[in-house]
Amino acid sequence: MIRSFTDILINPGAFFAEMAGEQEERLTRPLIIILAGGVVAAIYGYLVGGATAQMMAGAMPGLDAIITISTTIGALIGVFIFWLVWTAVIFALSMLFKGQGSFKRTLQVIGYGYLPQVIGTVISIIVAFEYVPKIVVPHITSAMMQDPVAIQEATKALMQDPAMMEMTQIISIISIVFLLWSANIWIFGLQKARNLSPRNAALCVGIPVIAYILYLIYNLGAV
Amino acid sequence: MKRCQSSAIFLVLLSGLVIGIASADLTQSQAPVTGKVFVSGTTFDPGVFFTGDKGTVTYVVTNSNTNTSVMLNHGTFSDADFQLLSGTYDYSNTLGPLQTRPFSFSIIANAPPGDYYPVFSLSFYDSNLYHPSLVRIDNTPIQLTVIDKPDAFAPGKKKTLYLQVANPRDNTVDTAMLEVSGAGITANPSKVFIGEVAAGAKIPVNVSITPDEETTLHLLLTYNNGNNPHETSLDLPITFGIDKKQADPVMSNIQVTSTGATVHVTGDVTNAGLETANAVMVTALPPAVPEDPYKTYVVQALKPDDFGSFEITFSTNGIATSIPVQVSFKDSDGNVYTSVQNVTVPGGMTAAVKSNGPPVVPIAAALVIVAIFVGGWFLYLRKKKQ
Repeated sequence: MIRSFTDILINPGAFFAEMAGEQEERLTRPLIIILAGGVVAAIYGYLVGGATAQMMAGAMPGLDAIITISTTIGALIGVFIFWLVWTAVIFALSMLFKGQGSFKRTLQVIGYGYLPQVIGTVISIIVAFEYVPKIVVPHITSAMMQDPVAIQEATKALMQDPAMMEMTQIISIISIVFLLWSANIWIFGLQKARNLSPRNAALCVGIPVIAYILYLIYNLGAV
Repeated sequence: MKRCQSSAIFLVLLSGLVIGIASADLTQSQAPVTGKVFVSGTTFDPGVFFTGDKGTVTYVVTNSNTNTSVMLNHGTFSDADFQLLSGTYDYSNTLGPLQTRPFSFSIIANAPPGDYYPVFSLSFYDSNLYHPSLVRIDNTPIQLTVIDKPDAFAPGKKKTLYLQVANPRDNTVDTAMLEVSGAGITANPSKVFIGEVAAGAKIPVNVSITPDEETTLHLLLTYNNGNNPHETSLDLPITFGIDKKQADPVMSNIQVTSTGATVHVTGDVTNAGLETANAVMVTALPPAVPEDPYKTYVVQALKPDDFGSFEITFSTNGIATSIPVQVSFKDSDGNVYTSVQNVTVPGGMTAAVKSNGPPVVPIAAALVIVAIFVGGWFLYLRKKKQ
């Protein structure tokens, strides 16, 4: 009997221990989670990308629509790409610790472990709903397209907008919290999926996660 | 002998008596005739002289007898203050009953201002006619005055001078002409023909001038008193400055909103000056790029203390903290005046935000969260190992 999604979040060890007994490696439920993550990411991308689209609207007719569509679809597809790439990275790291188990099983674990990030993205959407209308968007004109410095300055102005900065900081913290929550799930899942010790599984997941979080923190400081 | 002397004396007395009676009869018959010859009109041209003016005086002599002609001799004009330029009428001439005859003389006034009574005299065969008449010499010139002028001038700006030509004299002057000149000044018109200026009359004259530099404006009024040219001049300093009464459109109640790439600025323009601002227009200047639908907003004319609303649309480069917004208007002479007021725009607000360094609190919070997570797992693994 497969446990509920709640077990993934609060008792991942038991969840994956039970799942390890299954012979068939079904990806339906992870795919649903990833799809849900893609949808909420698309909504978030639509909201935040709208500010960028607004900034670029004067540069070329229709450019704002292109940017909005590309950020929305990009976020949706990006989640699936992230799923594959992240699985590949962790799978490769686990190979260093002589991990045993199929790539599909790892893909399954990473998919389940993405559930906290779906929740985190929903919270980020709520935050974005609150902050995006407050963002004062600079405008790039068609004349400015000939001047890279002007575009850079306008982009910088957008990123340094007080509302944008505050929103970025809050969402970054949310992302870190829910990424660590995912990491926790992935560690337990990877132990079973790749037959690793808890320590090795923690290293396989922790190294890229910590690296990514440090990158987020660096970006926070750089803004 | 004694009787002869007495007879001779008697004859002499008798002849004298006869001759006396005859002579007495002739005088009594001619006196009523010459007494009815008189100067019926005197005309001086000009009516009032300037000292040094040349002119003419014409006396019209009338014979009011209904059936008797008179013989006129030696008509002349004489006065110490007026020099006679033409000759006298030295020939004899018969003036028929109820006829008139003019006697004209060219004269020049040499005296200072005052009232004079030159005498026209005419001789008959037995008597003379003396006719003094009043003529004035007055050196009061025609007055050229400035009724209204701008408080100050501006380079290249056309301004109107409101002038007045007034004649305080007792006679009419004619061929009056005003000439406007000055270095670096374009006058329109540069010459104004005024014509005849009657005694006591005043004629308004408007002249537009466009100075290119600070200079002196020369106004020269020429006119003729009779056939004598005279002139009156007036110099006006042309200095540049701010006209205290000039219209002064001021923007207020500025509202800035952003729609897509376009910034909308709405507000009011109030004329804080004392003159009407015509064709008031509002537009944005670079680095803003005016965009439709309101690249330029025409507020139209604003009277003093009047106001009108405006709306302009433009796009910005996203960097500028403020955009210069120009208000232009025309004065009554068509001169265009502009004023610029900076308006803070949304794009500029973001650019104006100064970086206060990296956000310490979020970074610290993130590091604490990571540390808790790593520490938790470290303890978990250690506990599990034991």
